[in-house]
Amino acid sequence: MKRLFMNKFVIGLCCALLALPAMAQEDELKDLDGYVDFGDLSATYGEPKITINLGGTMLNFVGMMSSSESPETSEMISKLKGIRVQIYSLDADTDAARDQFGKTKSSLKSSGWEPIVQVNEDDEQVLVYMKTSEGNMEGMTVMVVDEEEAVFVNVIGQLNPAELGRVMDSFDVDVDLDLD
Amino acid sequence: MNEYDEKWEDRINALLDGELSAEDADLLKAEATDNRQLARAIVEAYQLQLAMDEIKVERAPDSLRKRLKAVPRQHRRTPVISFLQPRWAMALAAVPLVIIAVSMMRPETPSASEIAQARQDMAIAFAYLDKAGVITGREIESVVGHTMANAVTGSVNKAIQSQNLNSKEKEA
Repeated sequence: MKRLFMNKFVIGLCCALLALPAMAQEDELKDLDGYVDFGDLSATYGEPKITINLGGTMLNFVGMMSSSESPETSEMISKLKGIRVQIYSLDADTDAARDQFGKTKSSLKSSGWEPIVQVNEDDEQVLVYMKTSEGNMEGMTVMVVDEEEAVFVNVIGQLNPAELGRVMDSFDVDVDLDLD
Repeated sequence: MNEYDEKWEDRINALLDGELSAEDADLLKAEATDNRQLARAIVEAYQLQLAMDEIKVERAPDSLRKRLKAVPRQHRRTPVISFLQPRWAMALAAVPLVIIAVSMMRPETPSASEIAQARQDMAIAFAYLDKAGVITGREIESVVGHTMANAVTGSVNKAIQSQNLNSKEKEA
């Protein structure tokens, strides 16, 4: 009986060890409270034109590298646990994106997220939601669907929007987005 | 079986096993020529050996095998630890797996280019957040006017900032 148990244990250990790297590579952010599932629109629009998944480990390194240049930026980054971005080019058909927008909105409402700002125009929808827990910000979600692209941004952790400009200045990275 | 018989038995066994030297074998055969009892013992031992060789190893019934497995381990002979035993082989096979898994799970220090890419990604993410802020601000402004728009967006920012203040107070 003991030998049978030993064999099963060793086999189970081997299986678990094989699965561990895959588990480790899986999005480390999924278990966090501020995580939002945006679904997958690649079947309709192809692969996202921009996909960003920054986990806590990488953000820590970015924060450490920024500490000498800008302690404020480093402090702000230290409060972030993850940043996720998915951006799809929509061409002319925006139905699937608007449908996903609605599904995500319903999901946010049902899971305790609070609406901050919402714009509902025929050609443009914007939604900003925030999740708090015991007075602490757990995450922020921004979704934008216009006639050209669908933008899904999920910031996990604490973020002060008023500090965004200062952080971008400290990064000295040129990002030009078309706002017209 | 007397002492005399035991002595014969050892020599007969040695003869049949081929362990008896040629001289001792010839001596034993010579004795058997003069001793009918010894000759009969050698013949019987030889026949017994042939009979034993013809016995085939048969698989024990399942019921018996189960009962034998149920015998407590302490009543069995202590097994010699051999690296060829299945459990040791499996344990040894698991060692490289453990090394690979641990090395893959250990967070590696990203290169400078990876960190630069992460900064770029952060800037893009923040730019899109900023874009959303501009759109909502513009929309609010078109509906309620510039002064009210500033008031509204300002209050939103204050609401979010208050969360940060709350957390700072808790940390303090």
